[in-house]
Amino acid sequence: MALMERSEWYDVARDTEWTPRYVTWEELFPPELSGGEGLPDDVWRTYDEPYKISYREYVDVQRQKDAGAYSVQAALERADIYNNADPAWISILKEHYGAVALVEYGAALQEARFARWCKAPGLRNMAVFGMLDEMRHGQIQLYFPHEYVKKDRQFEWSHASMFSNNWVSLGARHFFDDMLMTRDMVSTSFCANFSFETGFTNLQFIGLSGDAANSGDYTFSKLIQSIQTDEARHAQLGTPLLQMMIENGQRDKAQKEIDISFWRSYRLFTILSGIPMDYYVPLEARHTSFKEFMEEWIVTQFMRELEDLGLSKPWYWDIFMRDISEHHHGQQLGTYSWRPTLWWNPAAGVSPEERDWLEEKYPGWNDTFGKVWDVMIDNFVNGRTEKTVPGTLPMICNLSQLPIVGTPSQTLRDTSVVYKGRRYHFASEVDKWIFEDNPERYRYQKNLVDRFLGGDIEPADLGGVLEYMGLGSIGPSGDDAHGYSWVESYRKQLADAG
Amino acid sequence: MSATSSVSRPVGPILQSGDVAEAVADAAKVDNPDSNVEVRDHGAYVRVEVDGGECVLRRATIEEELGRPFKMSELEIIMSSFTGRIDTGNDEIRFYR
Repeated sequence: MALMERSEWYDVARDTEWTPRYVTWEELFPPELSGGEGLPDDVWRTYDEPYKISYREYVDVQRQKDAGAYSVQAALERADIYNNADPAWISILKEHYGAVALVEYGAALQEARFARWCKAPGLRNMAVFGMLDEMRHGQIQLYFPHEYVKKDRQFEWSHASMFSNNWVSLGARHFFDDMLMTRDMVSTSFCANFSFETGFTNLQFIGLSGDAANSGDYTFSKLIQSIQTDEARHAQLGTPLLQMMIENGQRDKAQKEIDISFWRSYRLFTILSGIPMDYYVPLEARHTSFKEFMEEWIVTQFMRELEDLGLSKPWYWDIFMRDISEHHHGQQLGTYSWRPTLWWNPAAGVSPEERDWLEEKYPGWNDTFGKVWDVMIDNFVNGRTEKTVPGTLPMICNLSQLPIVGTPSQTLRDTSVVYKGRRYHFASEVDKWIFEDNPERYRYQKNLVDRFLGGDIEPADLGGVLEYMGLGSIGPSGDDAHGYSWVESYRKQLADAG
Repeated sequence: MSATSSVSRPVGPILQSGDVAEAVADAAKVDNPDSNVEVRDHGAYVRVEVDGGECVLRRATIEEELGRPFKMSELEIIMSSFTGRIDTGNDEIRFYR
């Protein structure tokens, strides 16, 4: 018997809506969970998901995606990427899996919450597929790094990082709790599906896949693009909701939520994507800078989607456009300096050839960030390695939970506000704006410095901090990815000059 | 490799490189004869961009280019992203603004 076309039965099959008789509509969909206050009751049935798929199609397609990714992994296991790739590439894998794998299960919960609480029946149906997508992402990104655990204990972090108090985990958890786990369904969809998935995950999961292929890691390249094919589908959940808000006079509310989630996503990705793309990817495989990826995926593609919907660029657009040439360079300086606090081995990425590349991609780099590296290099060359690791903690933002950085002598400054008798510090004007928009939401979170000063971390020194962060117990602390071999060319320069 | 496109109001799929991506890119040219179609190879992924705010992809055309049967839902296996809005059918997918 021939199957009916999906379009002939889809609208009937996906509509699991009914009229509740034992509870009220508000009890079934409480406003604090379901959101959408002020929207007419009959609007939810009109929600029409643009990317349609049946369960039969879903299972068929997902099976093929998994078969593709796992077969590449199995076929290339003997290529022994771990021993044959540049050590900095291995650091990218460690950072990625530790920052991403467990978070995917959080995203599965987020999609499950849509499936229960969202008032739009079409969205509830598609969110079930989204939930299954995210479970796949959690499983596959725990399975792939597992083969490396026996070779290198830093890969333990793939599973452990989000259960630890490592500073990167504190930042990531704060972000995901804010964006995915603690908002009503409409707001969550804007933050997660629209800003995060339609926008930023493309950077890491497609942009970085090109770098992976160039570096010879076809397993990782295939894996992350396979994941992003799921994202491309379920990221579409938010768009009809945005349209509904705009058509019902709530454009400004939607715009504000995009402005908040866009900035928060962007700053997280400066560490997840920005640092690896510009400093860790081996130079011969590095064709596109973080800024260029940002221009391709965010400044061009995402902004077009935003403006098509009738929304505007965020109010801080000028700050943002300047920031994409600056911020991640500061984070690289910070993370490399505090390398014992990382669960991966950072590459410095500042050999003479790499500095030429940075100067070409970011004119002026040598005169700003380069000068700080000059001091560090001078210390390395003259055997003062202890001076290259700070003995204290950096300033940490009370919103992003990430270190406060900037361009030396230009934009490095503390932005702070006093609220109910306490001073809060921020990594930018935008972080401060997000905090001040809803201080009661954010004020109670203790950042790493608050915990240190508040006596949560004992002993109150760098050793105590490392122990608090799980370094040395979950896996060894980070150290230079190349064992400082890149310093040799500078040592030779010095000898030749002397 | 420039980040900005020379086509105006581009829409279309972003695909993992390979046989299917090539067939889809060729199909895009056949199915959108009046539009400028730009195929940009980024190594691991290919951007297919059709100008004028609409890109139609027909199953029959992809099958012809591929030389084998193809289910429209299979496109998702290699479609890591897309630009524009999407309208998904059994025999046709449309990207539009």
